[in-house]
Amino acid sequence: MNYIYDNTYEGFLTCAYHHWYTEKAEGIFPDELYQLDLCRYAMSVETDAAKAERVLDAVNARISTWDAERIYKVFCSNEPEKEMKMLRYIALGFRHGPKIRLMHGDPVVKAAEAAEQRVGREVHRLCGLVRFSEARDGISGNTLLYAKVELDNDVLEFIAPHFSDRYKSEPFVIHDVSRGKGLFAYGGEWEVMPLEAALPIEASEDEHGYRLLWKGYFDAMGIRERANPKTQRGFMPARYWKHLPEVSGL
Amino acid sequence: MESGTFEKLTVLGESAKYDVSCSSSGHARVNVGRIGSAACAGICHTWTSDGRCLSLLKVLLSNDCVYDCKYCVNRRTADGARRTFEPKELAELTIEFYRRNYIEGLFLSSAVLVSPDHTAERMYECLWLLREVHGFAGYIHAKIVPGVSPELLTQIGLVADRLSVNIEMPTSQSLSLLAPQKKPEAIFAPMTQITRTQMEQRTLKAAGNMQRLRPAGYEGIDMGGTGLYVGEGAGGEAGALTSTPRKTGGHIVSESRRKTWNEKFAPAGQTTQMLIGASPESDRQILHMSEALYRRFTMKRVYFSAYIPVVDAPELPSLLSPPPLRREHRLYQADWLLRFYGFSADEILTETEPNLDYDLDPKVIWALRHIDAFPIEVNTASEAELLRIPGIGNVSARRILRQRRVQKVRYEDLKKMGVVMKRARYFLTCGGRYHGGKEQEAEKLRTVFMLESRAAEDAAALMNPGTLNAADIRRALGGGEKPQISLFEASL
Repeated sequence: MNYIYDNTYEGFLTCAYHHWYTEKAEGIFPDELYQLDLCRYAMSVETDAAKAERVLDAVNARISTWDAERIYKVFCSNEPEKEMKMLRYIALGFRHGPKIRLMHGDPVVKAAEAAEQRVGREVHRLCGLVRFSEARDGISGNTLLYAKVELDNDVLEFIAPHFSDRYKSEPFVIHDVSRGKGLFAYGGEWEVMPLEAALPIEASEDEHGYRLLWKGYFDAMGIRERANPKTQRGFMPARYWKHLPEVSGL
Repeated sequence: MESGTFEKLTVLGESAKYDVSCSSSGHARVNVGRIGSAACAGICHTWTSDGRCLSLLKVLLSNDCVYDCKYCVNRRTADGARRTFEPKELAELTIEFYRRNYIEGLFLSSAVLVSPDHTAERMYECLWLLREVHGFAGYIHAKIVPGVSPELLTQIGLVADRLSVNIEMPTSQSLSLLAPQKKPEAIFAPMTQITRTQMEQRTLKAAGNMQRLRPAGYEGIDMGGTGLYVGEGAGGEAGALTSTPRKTGGHIVSESRRKTWNEKFAPAGQTTQMLIGASPESDRQILHMSEALYRRFTMKRVYFSAYIPVVDAPELPSLLSPPPLRREHRLYQADWLLRFYGFSADEILTETEPNLDYDLDPKVIWALRHIDAFPIEVNTASEAELLRIPGIGNVSARRILRQRRVQKVRYEDLKKMGVVMKRARYFLTCGGRYHGGKEQEAEKLRTVFMLESRAAEDAAALMNPGTLNAADIRRALGGGEKPQISLFEASL
């Protein structure tokens, strides 16, 4: 049986519920990615909060809250076929309990670990690679910090605590252009909301000057005798460069 | 923004770029001011064209130096533009960069402007503005100029997260030759003071100590007004605390601990840096020096900096010699062995072999020298033993130990745990079986590893033909940086 769900975490958990109580799942797909498979029945699963909660409670009780968090991180990754990987991890976890996290050699654990690691890496990398611009709200004239990003994994909510604490005295927006989502924060509080259209803001007067300063400084800091563009790209993959003023030519 | 800022920033950034440390690690803190926080692991913000990360705004307050150190771009007799930041100007610039998330904090260093104390006062003013006026709670690394007075060092330590005093050269002979105005005593005095203040701080904060719950100003740590070290020089006696007159009129026990930036003295510890390849020391001397620094001063890091010939002087390698990057790399590997693998400097380099082999990494060399201790059985070995196996690091060793608690480690599992099998398989057994084939003699294994590293280098050169890498340099030189050193000795 193939299950099709609405690409929410609760939706996935409902599929997991049906895996145990209706019929074994052979594939779980978000609705936008599902391609008709003639060999298997497909069922569109209606997200059910009560069923989802039952699975989540079972994970918390029989595996651990630590593993529940890991599973959620895998869900936020862009890992291909992540749903079945999560399901296998839960199934294995039900068999072994909390010691599953010590089984580093197991392929099921390894797959979840790898996806979780990629999410963690992107979160850490983003803490450094988000670039804010000082912007003026076109309507009220107030200043705010605005950053555009294109994320591989859906990690806005994981970077939110870091940035909302750091910039607690100023409102800021981190806009994930590829997913149409925005992180809005002010005074230590934050929220992730859909953000499809561009915000009605414009760069402040000083903004261009500070970008020039930063670029000038960045260029001066490279040591020519030690030039090593390969390492540079290894640490700072080219797909991020578009939104970095120091390398994108402002 | 002032019009001269751009020029100052590029000139003073350019002068600071040879300072190695850029880490923003060692101390986690939430936002206790208006802006800023610090992550324990540190956060890199960008990577320059040489592949080094840029985490902090690394800049000199001034490059107008009164000293004349031979190896330095900012020495008094050098040509070039001289610029000095106003403390206020730099503080504002730091905040603006920080708001845009360009940087993780400030790394403030300076040439000796007028005198060490004059320089330190201006540095302190800048840092104080950042902390007090702008409410900055991010990371600050302050470089201490040798010869600074203990009172100023105390003040700077309370606003900075990390302090560093550059030791510059591995031995005092080289120091007196190349930096005649810097005295070893003037370098070690602030280092000692930092270490002692931190030890005292730790003791006072320990559980069961009645000093623990007193507010910062009365802990004997915030020595601004208490005069703990004042007038005693850097070697302040540990017993000085009892004889110190206390401030009167305060609470003995405070209701709550203060959670502000000046709660602690240099919470992220101290580091230092030395120049590699400008003087004729052997790697053994260098490693012994850094081991001593780690032990004696509980340094967080000892950085090495490959000397890039920027100055033409008879005491220094010629301008044409390439920076000894390969040597620096191997020294860092040895440094990691000291810090994370439980090796001692004497184990890594013996008296008969005072220099590292630049072709193979020092852990492999050690293993080949002690081939009788191998193979090691991964299912019974202790953590210390596992860490001696080339190809097993701290992460994979811990994973092996963890899995052993629930199930046996199989040979196939090792790769998944992150063990580098192309090296490790010659040195371990798994479940009693050896998987390294017949190559169990040190000489044969050495050939295997040499071929492997050559092949990897050639592949890298093919991938990236435009840049000159360390291997090309080594080939061009005909085998390592040794000729460069002997050339240097000849010129002495």
